[in-house]
Amino acid sequence: MNYRKSLKVLVFGLIALMLVIGATNCAPKPAEEGVAPEEPAAEEPAAEEPAAEEPAAEEPMAEKTSITILIPDNPVAFNGINTDTGYEQALGELVMLSLAEVDPNGNLYPELAVEIPTVENGGVVLDEDAWTMTATWKLREDVFWADGEQVTADDVVFTWDAMVDAGAWYAPMDYTDSVEKVDDFTVLVTFNTVFPAYTLQFGGEDVFIYPEHYCDAEAGFYEWNCDDQPLSSGPYILEEWVADDHLTFVRNPNYYESPKPYIDEVIVRIVPEEPVKQQLMLEGDADLHYWPAEPASNVYKEEGNGTKWVKSPSERWVMRLIPNLYVKGDRETPHPFLSDVRVRRALRMSIDVDTIINDIFLGYGVPVWNDFFRPPFNGCDIPRPEYDLEGAAALLEEAGWTDSDGDGIRECNGCETADAGTVMTMEYAIYAEYGESLELAQQLIAESWKSIGIDTELQIIEGAIMWAEAEDGGTEIAGLFELDMWDDGYPGTDPSDQIWTFYSSGSDWNYGHWVNEDMDTYIDEMYTVYEEDYLWAACEAAAILEEELPQILLFSTLEMHGLSDRLEGVLPSVNDPVTWNIADWTVTE
Amino acid sequence: MGTYIVRRLLQAIPMLLLVSIVLFALVNIAPGGPMSAYSRTNRMPEEKKEAIRRKFGLDKPLPVQYIVWLVGNDWIQIDEDGDNIPDGYGTRKGILRGDFGFSYKTREPVLELIADRLPNTVYLMFFTLLFTGIVAIPIGIISAIKQYSGFDITATTLSFMGQAIPEFWLGLLLILVFYATLNNPFTGEALLPSGGMSTLGAEFSFWESIWDRAKHLILPVLMGLVGWVAWYSRFLRSSMLEVINQDYIRTARAKGQIERKVLYKHALKNALIPLVTMFALDFPYIFTGSLYAELLFSWPGMGRLFYTAATGRDYPILMAILIIGSGIVVLSNLMADIAYAYLDPRVRYS
Repeated sequence: MNYRKSLKVLVFGLIALMLVIGATNCAPKPAEEGVAPEEPAAEEPAAEEPAAEEPAAEEPMAEKTSITILIPDNPVAFNGINTDTGYEQALGELVMLSLAEVDPNGNLYPELAVEIPTVENGGVVLDEDAWTMTATWKLREDVFWADGEQVTADDVVFTWDAMVDAGAWYAPMDYTDSVEKVDDFTVLVTFNTVFPAYTLQFGGEDVFIYPEHYCDAEAGFYEWNCDDQPLSSGPYILEEWVADDHLTFVRNPNYYESPKPYIDEVIVRIVPEEPVKQQLMLEGDADLHYWPAEPASNVYKEEGNGTKWVKSPSERWVMRLIPNLYVKGDRETPHPFLSDVRVRRALRMSIDVDTIINDIFLGYGVPVWNDFFRPPFNGCDIPRPEYDLEGAAALLEEAGWTDSDGDGIRECNGCETADAGTVMTMEYAIYAEYGESLELAQQLIAESWKSIGIDTELQIIEGAIMWAEAEDGGTEIAGLFELDMWDDGYPGTDPSDQIWTFYSSGSDWNYGHWVNEDMDTYIDEMYTVYEEDYLWAACEAAAILEEELPQILLFSTLEMHGLSDRLEGVLPSVNDPVTWNIADWTVTE
Repeated sequence: MGTYIVRRLLQAIPMLLLVSIVLFALVNIAPGGPMSAYSRTNRMPEEKKEAIRRKFGLDKPLPVQYIVWLVGNDWIQIDEDGDNIPDGYGTRKGILRGDFGFSYKTREPVLELIADRLPNTVYLMFFTLLFTGIVAIPIGIISAIKQYSGFDITATTLSFMGQAIPEFWLGLLLILVFYATLNNPFTGEALLPSGGMSTLGAEFSFWESIWDRAKHLILPVLMGLVGWVAWYSRFLRSSMLEVINQDYIRTARAKGQIERKVLYKHALKNALIPLVTMFALDFPYIFTGSLYAELLFSWPGMGRLFYTAATGRDYPILMAILIIGSGIVVLSNLMADIAYAYLDPRVRYS
C-alpha cells in the first residue's frame, strides 16, 4: 500500500514537474543583459523642442505592428563571416550596420559612412607605379549604439583587428596592408594592390561593424558576446532568442534614420519544413517565407489567397557543370574525353536548359551561359548556345568518339586524348542538400547524353563530403570527381574574386584544373578601379571562357520570397539579404 | 540487490568506454568533415584552415583526439600557433570531468546547447510516453479479455494502421486537418497551432499560458502517440492472452476471486513484465527526442540538434548526444532488470 502511495506521488509529481517545465522552458532569455536602450546624448536637447509638439502625448497609442519571418534553420550568430545556414547575414542586417551597402540594382550606398570613397571625390588615392591604393572612409557622426555610445572609427578598426586576430578570412584580407584610425570619424585603409572590391570591404552581406566598448575582445571574434547578444546600431534590437524556435526583435528607438523602422516588432520563426511554412503563410500567421521552393512560389503567385511573390531584378546562383580535365585523383593525366573542348562543347549543346527551367524548376530560373551575365558585364556579347543534339553528336564524331560496337555508347576511335577503345562513360555527381529539383535535372541531362552515346554513373553526394578537406574524403578539392554540378555566385558588384577562384591557374579552387595564361592575364587586369578597363578585361575573359568551357554554365535560380499581402516595401536582392532595407518595410491592414 | 546494482554500474563503466571508442571512431572516420563549411562559399586559405584545425584539435591523430575528448588537455603542453613550440597547457577538461567541448559552428559549450533543448524534448516525450501508457494499456487489456470481439477487431485493425502509417505523413495530415482546415467555432482561428511550443508575441496569464502550451503539445504528441500506442497495445494484448490462460489465473478464479481482482492483480501485473523491456528500450527517446515530430512541428529539441550536428559534422555535439544516450540506454536497462525483480518474485539477483 505504501508502495502504491509512493508510486502515485511519483507519477503526479512527474506530471506536475513536466507542466512546470512546459510553462517555463520557453521563457525568454534576455538577449542584451544589462544593456537597456538609452537616449543618446546627442538627442538630449529634444527637451527644448517647441511646445507645439507636446499635444502628441495625448494622441491614442498606435497599435503595435508586428511581422513574422520564416526561416528553416537556427542561425549560428549575428556574423556574416562565421556563417553556416545562410541566414546569419539576413538577421545581422536587422541589428548591425556596415560602412557601405549595395542595393538590388547594384548601386552602392553609404550606411555608416558619409559617402563612398572614390578616385573622383579624393577618397581613393592610387599609386600608379606601385599599383597600390588607399581608401579613406568618413563616418557619420549621428549613429549610436543601443546603449547610447557613439559609433566611431575605433569600432571599425576594432572590427578589422578582431577578424584578423581570430584567423577569420574573407577576400579583402588578402589585399589589405592596414586599417588605421585617422580621427574619431575617419579610417584609412592601405591596400597592397589596386583592389576594385574595396567599397564593400566593411559592408555588403559579410561584414558588420561591431562595438569596441561592448564586445568581449578577449573572447575573440568567434566566441565573443557580440554574435549572440549583439549591441544594436541597426533598425532593431534583439529582444530574445530561443534556439531552434524563434528570435524576437523590437524597434531601436535610437536608430539614426528616425522615424524608421516603421514596423515595431519582427519575429523570426524557425520552421524547418516547407509545407508547414506554406500553410503558415496561407493562414495569415506569417509574412515572409524566406527562399520558398518552386511549388510554394506557384501558390504565392495565385491571386486572392492573402500572399504574393517577389523576386530580385537580377540573379546570382548559377547552376554549373564542373568537368575535371584530369583523371579522377590524378592531376598529371588528362581526362580521356573531358579534357577535349569539343567534348565539353558537345555536352553543353545536348542539354535542354529551357526544359529544365520550365518543367523541373517550374519556370523559376533564367538561362545563363557565361560568368559575366550580371550588369554591368552583360554587354560582353556572348551569344546564347543552342540546344542541338545532332550538332553535339557530330562534334563527338569529329573528336574521334564513335559507337563502333553498336551498344549505344561511344568509344575512342581516333580520338586525341585516350587509347583506342576507351568507353565514353563518366561519374556525374550533384550535392544532396539541394533536393528533388536538382536530382531531376541531373537525370534529364544524363538521359540526353545517353541519347548521343555518353554514359554516366549518377551520384548524389552530401555537401559535407563534396566540399570537405582532401584528408576528410572531400571530392572537389582533391579532384576525386569527373563531372559535378552545383551552384555558386558572387555577392555585391565585383566578380573578380570569384573569377580568380574558379579560373586562375594559382587557385586551389580551380576544381577542374584548367590553366590558361591569357585568362590569368585578364584576371590580373580586372583588379583595377577604372571601370572601362575592368569591362574590357572582363569581356576578354568572357570570350576565353566561352571558347574553352572550363565550366558549363546552365541557368540561374531566382532570388525569390513569398510575402503576405499586407507586407510592403520588400525588395529582394542578390547583393544583400532580403532584409537589407527592413527599416523601410511597412504593413497595411 | 544493492550489491547487484553496484556490480552492474561497475560493469557499465568499461562497456561505456568501449562504446565511446567505437562511436568516436565511427563519427570521425565517416567521410566529410567540419571544415567543409569553409570550402564552398568561404574559400579560406590553407594557413587559416590549419589554424582552425589546431583550435579544434583536428590536427592531432585520432587516438590523441579521443584522449583529449575523454580526459582533456589541461595536463599537456599544446602548440597554439603551429610553430612546433608548445605555448602552454590546454583548456579542455574532457568528458570525464564534465567538459563535452564546444560546437565547431557556434563555438558555444556543448552542454549549454544541450541544456537549452533538453527540457523541451523531455517535456514532449514525457507526455507522449505518458499518453501512450494511458491509451495503450486499457486497449491491450480489453482486447485480450474480449478477444475476437468487435472492440478487439477494431483495435487490431487500427493498430496495424498505426504501425504502418508513415509518421511524417501522419504529422502533415494532422496539420492539414487541425490547423489548415478546422477552425475554432468561437474565435474563428485555427483549431490547433501548426507548431512551436507557444504562441509568440501574445501576452497570457499563467493559466492561459498553460492552456496555450497544452494546445501546442497536442499534435506532436498525437503524431508520436499513434505508432507507440499501436505497438504497446498489441504487445500487451498478446502478453495478457498468454497470462490469462495460465493455471494460476484459473486457480484464482476457482478460489472465487472477483474477475476485476483476477485481471488487475494477478494477470496484468505479470503481463506487464515483458512491457518493461520495451519501455526500457524506448526510455532513451526521452533524451534523444523524436526527429520527425521536432522537424515537422518546429519543436526546438534534441532531435533537431542531433540532426543539424550530423549533417554539419559537428563532432562534439554528436559525440555528447551519442555518449549520453548510450549511458541512458545502459541505465534504463539496469532499471528494467531491477523492475523485473520487483514484478516477478521468481527473479532474484545476488
